[in-house]
Amino acid sequence: MGAVRDDDRPELQPPILQGLGQAVPQVDPPLALRARVLATVAGAPTARPEAARSAVWVLATAASLVLAAGLGLYTSQLRGRIGALESELGDARARAAAAEQRAIDAQQAVAGTRVALAVLTSPDVARIDLAGQAVAPRASARAYWSRSRGMVFTASNLPALPPGRVYQLWVLTAQPAPISAGLLMPDAQGGVNETFNTPSDIPQPVALAVTIEVAGGVQSPSGEKYLVGTVVGA
Amino acid sequence: MWVFLAAVLGSPATLENRQADQASLARIARGDQAAFAELYDRHARLVYSLALRILQDRADAEDIVQEVFAQVWAQAGRYDASRGAVAAWMLMLTRSRAIDKLRAKRARPEAATDPDAAESVMDVAAAQDLELLSAEQVTRLQRALKELPEAQRTALELAYYEGLTHVEVAARLAEPLGTVKTRIRQAVMKLREVLSE
Repeated sequence: MGAVRDDDRPELQPPILQGLGQAVPQVDPPLALRARVLATVAGAPTARPEAARSAVWVLATAASLVLAAGLGLYTSQLRGRIGALESELGDARARAAAAEQRAIDAQQAVAGTRVALAVLTSPDVARIDLAGQAVAPRASARAYWSRSRGMVFTASNLPALPPGRVYQLWVLTAQPAPISAGLLMPDAQGGVNETFNTPSDIPQPVALAVTIEVAGGVQSPSGEKYLVGTVVGA
Repeated sequence: MWVFLAAVLGSPATLENRQADQASLARIARGDQAAFAELYDRHARLVYSLALRILQDRADAEDIVQEVFAQVWAQAGRYDASRGAVAAWMLMLTRSRAIDKLRAKRARPEAATDPDAAESVMDVAAAQDLELLSAEQVTRLQRALKELPEAQRTALELAYYEGLTHVEVAARLAEPLGTVKTRIRQAVMKLREVLSE
């Protein structure tokens, strides 16, 4: 036996070579595989006299190999096609989900616009202008409030929120405790356009204020005031 | 020593099994599809199990079964019964084809030029001294494999079931080449010792 080179494959002689093949866990092949394998020789001539079979045998063998190769190729193509279809299905699902989200967004926008229109055209609408405070002198806001229809609130130039913080809109009434109207998340330019439903039995507002609070909002204002405005004639 | 095909086929180990295989092969050589089906029923499980162990993929293992049986059909007439058991020859075909497929899947550049890739087209002329182990030998071998130190068993399995060279096994395990060669040699010696008992 010659020298063993480092890049040689380890020498595994019979019976170890055979034994390792036999020692694997035994698993039954799928039943459908039997039909596929037998189909590779289907149509091949059955037993014939030895003398007459040579040429036909070669053809039959070639045909069976071609058939086997063809089946293998077909199977491979089928797998590829299934993979492509699954990929297309995934893309289609993603597009459907995106379209659904856009539809929801559009419905919400339409609903908000309807509320805004209802508030602005309400006979009992009142306008409240809010001015920026010391921490946000350039900020300003305007609210239209209707006891029966709700509130439309627009603001501009609000400073960008630090992480974990949110603006909160408060309705101040004759009662000592301010009432939270909702949370405000300004856009990149510091703008806000929101509509709120306010309870119809709310006491007469005397002022509105916007404070900065922890994300999620608070029960009563605790942060610094950014906008304040009084209700004219309240 | 006569082989006991039932070691892996679940039936009593008999000389008749080997003779039945040879008889089936002779009939297959004459184009007998029923004999082909009989051979499939006797050995598909053996072939599929080894292919699955090597490829770890059911669809790929099924492809190998198809290829091996297609080769048996094509080469049955050239098989020399004196060279060994039919089932052992089929195991050799299975391992070679499965390892070739594994290499192709991993797109290793040497797959196309590796001289050992010639195993993949190994025909009946190359098959000799092929015998299956008896049921009792297989059991002993399985037990001995379990009892091997894990490092030795892993190195041996990479060499046999993935067809890796010493260098490749060393790279895969991030171990020195000498260490890997020693582990494989020790594992082979232990298994050989167990089989000779």
